[in-house]
Amino acid sequence: MIFYRKKAVQAVWFTGCILLFVAPVVLMFIKSVSFGWSWPEWSPDQFSLRAWEVMFRDPALSRSLYVTVAVGVSVVLINFLIAVPSAYALSRFSFKGKGVVEALLMMPILIPVLAIAMGMHLTMIRLGLTDRITGVILIHLLPTLPYAVRVLKAGFDRLSVDWEEQSAVLGAGRWTTFWTVVVPLILPSLRSTAVLVFVISLSQYVLTAIIGGGKVLTLPMIYYPYFNSADEAVVAGFSVLFALLPIAFLIVWEAIIKGYLFVIRKP
Amino acid sequence: MTGFWNIGNEKLSSSKLTSLKPYFYLLPSLLVVFFFVGYGLYNAAKSSVAVEEGQPFYYHYQQLFQEGVFLNALAVSVWVAFISTAVSLVIGIWMTRRLVRLFKQDHWKFIAWFPMLIPHFVAAYIVFLLFAPSGWFSSVAFQSGWLENMSQFPLFVNDPYYIGVILTYIWKEIPFVILMLLPVYQEMDMRYEDVSRTLGGNGWTVFKTVEFPWVWPVSLEVFLILFVFVLGAFEVPALLGVTYPKMIPVLAYDWFYQAAWVNRPLAHAMMVFLSAVSLAAAFFILTFAQRWRSRWAMRREEA
Repeated sequence: MIFYRKKAVQAVWFTGCILLFVAPVVLMFIKSVSFGWSWPEWSPDQFSLRAWEVMFRDPALSRSLYVTVAVGVSVVLINFLIAVPSAYALSRFSFKGKGVVEALLMMPILIPVLAIAMGMHLTMIRLGLTDRITGVILIHLLPTLPYAVRVLKAGFDRLSVDWEEQSAVLGAGRWTTFWTVVVPLILPSLRSTAVLVFVISLSQYVLTAIIGGGKVLTLPMIYYPYFNSADEAVVAGFSVLFALLPIAFLIVWEAIIKGYLFVIRKP
Repeated sequence: MTGFWNIGNEKLSSSKLTSLKPYFYLLPSLLVVFFFVGYGLYNAAKSSVAVEEGQPFYYHYQQLFQEGVFLNALAVSVWVAFISTAVSLVIGIWMTRRLVRLFKQDHWKFIAWFPMLIPHFVAAYIVFLLFAPSGWFSSVAFQSGWLENMSQFPLFVNDPYYIGVILTYIWKEIPFVILMLLPVYQEMDMRYEDVSRTLGGNGWTVFKTVEFPWVWPVSLEVFLILFVFVLGAFEVPALLGVTYPKMIPVLAYDWFYQAAWVNRPLAHAMMVFLSAVSLAAAFFILTFAQRWRSRWAMRREEA
């Protein structure tokens, strides 16, 4: 009896979570493939792919899709390059000023990025970094790096040093140990970092607008003017695209990781 | 790069090179932070005190606090940040503690984290889709006969109380709260709950006496991160806000790009002020959370 009651409560909570967190996104998707769905119909009566065709026929959109992915992937790679050693140091060493360093690395999420972007604006112009993709990639490091360090540090904290010792005992060099032992074991944290960083980069409007000066057109740059457009199905489709990009990124990531593990497992 | 070597080196020798290693690993990250945060903030502060002759250096700050537009922006920003953070924190804690107890495995977390994949401005669109006068809830209300036309539906988006913005942040931040609190609940020693229950404690007593000492410091940090984020974020209020009162980031962006850059010093002053407030809040909250943690660690060891 009690068992069945627990099952029922579980079902209620599960449905509740789906309704709260997933259903709104599904509604958005349905809106994008609906045809002529307007107030006060609560559900669409016709479906069509018109909105998606309109979107992808727009050359501005495909170009900015390319720019967005280029920026996002670069930001993820640079984050790996600088956050992995930092997280490793914070997790495995005890040294003077550790608390201060940790606090400093959290600064970019405690200080409004807008303040920093405005302060950097003239300097970035002087350095020739505005209006181009390099500057935008650099400024996107700001809201992403603290999260990358935090997630990776937690990953290293959970990973026992024993495995590295084992590898060293067996005669593997540091480099081999890193690529064949540490990286495969830390993969779950690398994946979380990659997705989180990609999504944060994808969500930046104001940083890209200020540093990119309206010349670097990522997807959010053309999304904002679209927002109040009359063609609701197109706006919905455009919004769905933002949800699809991280998922596509994750699929490509998994494929690359499969390949990597296949290569290092070969004797 | 292996821990083995590091441990070995630390034990056998304390050569200068080894002790410098962590700093070397941290250098790239610190450089990025120094370059952007340090230099960016310095520049912003410098621009905010760049005054003409005969004016005191705090001239722009003085101007700022005499500006009704700014004071209203500050008020509405604090209102939005406080309400959305507090509500997401309460709902997030409540959901986490129920879900952890209800399900043995934590597969549910992928559903709860789903909104984290959605950018904030898309979440704003979702709120628009559901809560606008022409939105889905309004349609359902019409079909059920609760209203006769669109204009009877209460204003939730682009409204002066920023309800739509608050709803967007709540939807986006509940998953963040769950993400931060789930490890806390999974590491908690639930035998204390049995103690509390045996002694006749109800759900609230269990939360107060067993979970609270663990949850409180993390909640404070989450509150800080979210509050400061909402205070300084441009993306959502730019879409779902109103022209008066604006939230601070939207106002700062407007002033920054206003004709002939006349209001740029004011925009800088406003954002520097916001940064200072955020930093002070961070300092107090993190120090307090740290003290709380060490005090409770001590108490538990004594027991």
